[in-house]
Amino acid sequence: MEIKEIIATIIAEFPHALYGSVIVGALCAFLGVYIVARRVVFLGAVLTQISVLGLALTFLPFIAVSHTIGSLVVTIIAVIMLSRLLTGKKIPRDAMLGFIFAFAIAARILILQKTPKVEVAEIENLLRGDILFVTPELFYLMLGVFIAAMVVHGLFFKEFAYIAFDAETARTQGFNTGGWETLFYVIAAVVIAVATHIVGDIFVFGFLVIPPLAAMQLVKSVKAIFLVSFLIGALTPVLGLVLAFKFDFPASPTIIAVAAVVLMLTYALRRR
Amino acid sequence: MPPLIEFQNATLGYGRKIVLQDMNFTIHAGDYFGMVGPNGAGKTTLLRAILGILKPLSGKVAIHGVAGAPLRFGYVPQRDTIDDLLPYTVREVVMMGRYRQIGIFHRPQKTDREIVLESLQHVDVADLQNRAFKDLSGGQKQRVLIARALASKPAALILDEPTNGMDFSSKISILELIHRLHEEDRLTVIMVSHFLDDVANYVKRLAIVERNFFQVGELNEVLTEKNLSSVYQMPIMVTPINGAKVILAGERRGN
Repeated sequence: MEIKEIIATIIAEFPHALYGSVIVGALCAFLGVYIVARRVVFLGAVLTQISVLGLALTFLPFIAVSHTIGSLVVTIIAVIMLSRLLTGKKIPRDAMLGFIFAFAIAARILILQKTPKVEVAEIENLLRGDILFVTPELFYLMLGVFIAAMVVHGLFFKEFAYIAFDAETARTQGFNTGGWETLFYVIAAVVIAVATHIVGDIFVFGFLVIPPLAAMQLVKSVKAIFLVSFLIGALTPVLGLVLAFKFDFPASPTIIAVAAVVLMLTYALRRR
Repeated sequence: MPPLIEFQNATLGYGRKIVLQDMNFTIHAGDYFGMVGPNGAGKTTLLRAILGILKPLSGKVAIHGVAGAPLRFGYVPQRDTIDDLLPYTVREVVMMGRYRQIGIFHRPQKTDREIVLESLQHVDVADLQNRAFKDLSGGQKQRVLIARALASKPAALILDEPTNGMDFSSKISILELIHRLHEEDRLTVIMVSHFLDDVANYVKRLAIVERNFFQVGELNEVLTEKNLSSVYQMPIMVTPINGAKVILAGERRGN
């Protein structure tokens, strides 16, 4: 198939997959700038695994909520608990995150072993996010999350930026830094939970890290880093989907591979 | 001078852990106040109480407003507590000092940009305004952080270890700048340092902070060999050389 033909097919047959991966890519890439700048990348990995665990929990026969609600509720609770656990000094922060990461994966595997509802392979596909079969409902939910997250970040850009840069001084000026931090992480949790359901954990975690890193290589100002990261996050999935169709590859890993190539190129071209 | 901050039988600590007990002292408007002490003695705890972000376990820390408005602090943190992975420009960093006045939902106006420029000029780094903060030297960063504190139009400037990790000339330059801000602008200055020399020749009033030994008063009354030797648990000399106080470790020999 020619590239034009592939694009026409994707738009005609899988519009929600295309637009869904674009908005997830752009939003994760935008939030990822903060995640990378705050040096909490591992927290991003942990939250994606927790949202997958939340999704897995909804397959248990005695839990009667939708997959998305399950994922959302578990991730938001985890973020609120983490904001307390990570400020304690008895257990190192990385060790605590490592423990939760391992526990989330182990719990998911155990749950899947005991799930009677559908076949495990089908569940695994859902947990990994099958981009091509994004439903219109999920897409519109993600679109709503995208708009809400961007509006909140647009309105409070200076507050989020200040607290990420120097929370201690912001606090002395009367900013409720704990409240702002919680708001940031709850938004991140909602985005990660819904996005993981749509595109899977590898895509979400990859786009929290790769586009921001690429943007940091390319441009010098903070606002430009956010913008370039957002654009890389929005455009890379399109190219990835086209290549996945062309060469019959799975979509998410192809998109991540394309993003990795973009990062390597930007590193080679980085400002001197 | 009216009192700005009053410690009234204040006991400070975290949870059940008491760090400093039953403190009574006052910092007045126009003071040039230093706090020294060994590492872990409680200087940061005291600073957090002054800034109003640590409530006393018992007693009271009264923070008095100026002309009916709440007391506004210009806080200069330790440089290494700022994680500058993103390339904020010097102008953007100083503008952060205005964010409280600008308020939520609002963007910086012309007045804010003028105040930022004035603050940068005041500390002699206006030429760096378009440079990335993370690319500056330690001394330049410290000046920018002081400019950010000044941009909030504070009644008191509070500096936490302002000369940490600086070479000799940068250190003197920063101390002279702080001194100028106090003398020329009549700004109340509260400075924490673990370098005795930093405070010995600049501040007017001093607190020596140690868990079991808290002394506060005029510099000459508090900065004595007896007090320092007791706090640091080693013989310490305070010797005048060319009108400046020099702190030396060791016993006096002969006359």
